[in-house]
Amino acid sequence: MSKKSFLSLFLVFALILSLGAVSTVSVQAAESESGYTIDPDKTEILVGAVRSQTGVFAMFDQTAFGPCYRMWVDKVNADGGIYVEEYGKKLPIKLIVYDDTSDMNQMTQLYQKLILEDHVDFLLPPVSTAFLSAAVPIASQYGYLMIGAEGGSDTLKESLAKYPGFFSVLNYSETQIPAIVDLLLEQGMESAYIIYIQDTHGIEYSTAAEPAFKEAGIEIKAMTSVPADIADMTPIVTDAMNSGADVLIMFAYPQINYPAISIAKTLGYNPKMIIMGPGGSFESAKAALGGDAGVEGIIFEGAWNTKSSPEAAQFAKDLAEFNKDDPNFGMDWWGHIVYYASLEVLQQAIEGAGTLDNSVLAEYIKNNHFNVSMGEIWFENQEIAHECFLGDLGQWQNGYPEVVDADEDRTADPIVPKPEWAAE
Amino acid sequence: MITVLNIIITGLIMGGIYALISMGLSLQYGVAKILNVSHGEFIMIAAMLTWVFVGLGIHPLLALVLCCPFTFCVGFLLHITIFRWLNINSGTAAAYESNAMLLCFGLYFIFSNIAMQIWGSNPVGFQFMEKSVNLGGAIIAVNKIIVLIIALAVSILFYLFLSHSRLGKSIRAASQDPVAAGMLGMNIKKIMAICFGIGAVLAGIAGTLISMYSQVNTGMGMGYTMIALIVVVLGGMGSIPGSMIGGMILGFVGSIFGYIEPSLSMVAYYLIILVLLLVKPKGLMGR
Amino acid sequence: MNRSNGGGSRIGQYIIPIIIIAVLFGLSFLTRTGTSMRPSYIVVLFVSILNYIVLAVSWNIFSGPSGYIALSTAAFFGLGIYVSALFGESLPLPVLMILAGAISFVIAAIIGVITLRLRGVYFTIFTFGLVLLLQYLILWYEVKFNNLRGRTVASVPYNTVFLSLLVLVGIVLLAAYFVRKSRFGMALSGIGECEDAAAHVGVNTTMVKVIAFAATSFAIGAAGAAKATTMIYIDPPIAFNVMMSFMPVLMVIFGGAGTFLGPIIGAIAFTILQEQLTTKWPKWYMIIFGTVMIISIVFLPKGLVGTIGEMKSMQKKIALLGITAGFMLIGFGFTQILEAAGVSIGGLVFPLLFGIAGFVIFANVFKRHKGKEAA
Repeated sequence: MSKKSFLSLFLVFALILSLGAVSTVSVQAAESESGYTIDPDKTEILVGAVRSQTGVFAMFDQTAFGPCYRMWVDKVNADGGIYVEEYGKKLPIKLIVYDDTSDMNQMTQLYQKLILEDHVDFLLPPVSTAFLSAAVPIASQYGYLMIGAEGGSDTLKESLAKYPGFFSVLNYSETQIPAIVDLLLEQGMESAYIIYIQDTHGIEYSTAAEPAFKEAGIEIKAMTSVPADIADMTPIVTDAMNSGADVLIMFAYPQINYPAISIAKTLGYNPKMIIMGPGGSFESAKAALGGDAGVEGIIFEGAWNTKSSPEAAQFAKDLAEFNKDDPNFGMDWWGHIVYYASLEVLQQAIEGAGTLDNSVLAEYIKNNHFNVSMGEIWFENQEIAHECFLGDLGQWQNGYPEVVDADEDRTADPIVPKPEWAAE
Repeated sequence: MITVLNIIITGLIMGGIYALISMGLSLQYGVAKILNVSHGEFIMIAAMLTWVFVGLGIHPLLALVLCCPFTFCVGFLLHITIFRWLNINSGTAAAYESNAMLLCFGLYFIFSNIAMQIWGSNPVGFQFMEKSVNLGGAIIAVNKIIVLIIALAVSILFYLFLSHSRLGKSIRAASQDPVAAGMLGMNIKKIMAICFGIGAVLAGIAGTLISMYSQVNTGMGMGYTMIALIVVVLGGMGSIPGSMIGGMILGFVGSIFGYIEPSLSMVAYYLIILVLLLVKPKGLMGR
Repeated sequence: MNRSNGGGSRIGQYIIPIIIIAVLFGLSFLTRTGTSMRPSYIVVLFVSILNYIVLAVSWNIFSGPSGYIALSTAAFFGLGIYVSALFGESLPLPVLMILAGAISFVIAAIIGVITLRLRGVYFTIFTFGLVLLLQYLILWYEVKFNNLRGRTVASVPYNTVFLSLLVLVGIVLLAAYFVRKSRFGMALSGIGECEDAAAHVGVNTTMVKVIAFAATSFAIGAAGAAKATTMIYIDPPIAFNVMMSFMPVLMVIFGGAGTFLGPIIGAIAFTILQEQLTTKWPKWYMIIFGTVMIISIVFLPKGLVGTIGEMKSMQKKIALLGITAGFMLIGFGFTQILEAAGVSIGGLVFPLLFGIAGFVIFANVFKRHKGKEAA
């Protein structure tokens, strides 16, 4: 017995030693980073994306960035492609989409595949802030641009300087919390009850809200964190009702927001203002909450609408038309126009700089203004400048998503206090 | 005081649903020896179907009745086809049990994804009795009270069915000693298939009830499967009263933690099981 | 079933370990195909495959013979991931792996002492619950006390991760091989056949179970620490992903539970099938994957290797393998035809699916045939 175990131990050590030797040998320098080259035989621009087609995040690819990039590729190719000066011709786009099954392991592996095996020219971002946080370092390791779509956060912002090819597009707590404070002050609200989801979104928004509200003199009655898969929101909504706060704020996702609204309606709880996080801006919220009447007066993070500008109206029309056969599609009055802008920026940068070289394009994007569906935009510190956004807060009024920021973005005055819940 | 009342009523409602879900799973394991990890998908399918029916103008309570034969047929057919083949191909009872569980995991993949291809993954819902009543200071939603009443009624009816009807007695006999029951001339295979079907029906009823007071989506199944597994272990595998008691316990724990620290309710469920299994390794009512 | 008499001579016993080491040594040269800044994709893919081999083989060492279906893989894998997330900045990868393994070992031993008196499905669900417990507990702690949800993991070049996992795979495979031959392995399968009888004969069943459970958890934790460095950003639901508990079990069942080669083949086949389906047929991956799973469980309950092992005559074994290879070739041809017709669902999707189909059909045909002969 002891002899045997000695032998097997010996074998194990032999293995470790031999592999160790190999590993030291293989770290030999020969690191010739393949720089950018022009391939004269190129007939198309390869654009790769890893998107959650199945699993818990599939909803985002179906309704958020998904409809935008599909329409963009379709439009560009209908036009014959993107004109690239160094090729002297229009190159159509070939889109490669892989499914990460909402799994981080798959996501990181498949981005490596896109880069190392498919040699794509450009990468589109993955679903959700968490996945974006992992995809950005991968993209920048190989010198790729990554213009974010869904997802934006303070944590990502901190890493911007480290990743010169990363651009964040969606507005988030940094600009939306001040917008909320302004609106609350304008409407004379004195206290708020905050529910937040245990996610980067909820944590960052609530962390930003606390000092901002304090400074503005708005009392926070309570800040309640809820897990994403909470079984019953009744206790929390009841608590909010008993707190007597003027405003109910939910920095949470549809799986929290929607039940909370239903429960509030059922309990007859109607605070002066309800502010809802992601999901509030979805046209599909109506399907879940009882039509136009069901969402009447609810304020949401966003926002833009067809009154924002003629271009925005045109974009809304085009997007609805392009996706009319998709039963899952619904307009998102927060993200869609911003996501689409990220693609238009990429296209205009390629046309403007005349190259497919990602590092040149990154510089170009930093230093230029772009004319896109949401108007003229430019980047400050790799984020879209705040004044470019068409709004930070919206409110459902007769089924229409009015922008109600307390500044010049406003398209209609907010209805405060919120009207009574519609009877069934 | 009002909080205590609220906790009790919320606990009852959650407990009622949990009990309903777990009874089905417990029956499927107790008699058919299938640990159905796709149980939640039956809940999801019934909930989504209810939403479709309501969209067609059918009353939710009628939809509840309509979903029952559908879920029963799905369960019954699954059992007389793939589970029976599996039973023939698996050598031992132990091998069948573990293979059946993995097979259900495959069913979970298929059901949840077919549903997602059909209905997408947005939350959907309909409005059903969104009013509330004041019970001694606690404000309770009418739809939840209706759901609780239906859940309790179904549970009690099911219990009576098992204890008094002829088929129910055969089912109990088959769960206690399949070999002896077979010798007495019972068609064990048929009883097992019926049990699997009934388990699916109970899940389906729960699904319809859930859709009456909450939004539903195609990804909701797994969460309920986990709850059902916890309840069934708590109550004792195969014990119907155990599932009812276990469901109520979990409902109350969930309700209490909903008021104290909602993010710890899963942790609390698990710790309860941990302590209980250390004392009684076969659950509360396990044999 | 237990081919403990196969190991004939003393030297014969070391043939397989030597082959294992030779193959792994050969594989290590794959790192030469790329640089550490720009690895080749084959290395990236192999990191996934090796990772699953560790998980599947480890699971099979304990659960295969003992019959205790543990679904705690994701728990220890997640612990490993968190070790990397917390200490990745300051410690080199091999140290991280050993640390993660040690932590997993200790926790598994504690859990094992408490839970291994549970039998059958109670044990299964309890271990599954462990995944959720850790996930929710860590999430609650991070949100409450650190005010964050996710963490960044210091990235390590793929080549290094690959070599580290290669070493881990070597250790795990050698362990799996020697445990099968040892008295310890006999005790484990004794527990699987009849625990009470094994205890009666004088086997300290609790001790055997706890050691096996904890030792395999060591490898799983170490694999988690290695894999985490390629995941870059993690949070509790990502780290404690319940799929990580089920995938190894499915791989083992597909390949053949209780066999030596089964888990390896299952891990390789499933990883490649998964990679091919998610890239070629994105939306249908889960449905096809689920169908393959059901078919293989229903019609190959002994798994690929188990089914071949059951066949008595050598001709049949070779015929079955030949037919499978033939089906794969047909699948390959089918892909080519589709490609020529302008439908580009290339890759290995059809060869793999055809191969599995051919194997399933003819394995069952051969079985029927044998049944008739016997009658």
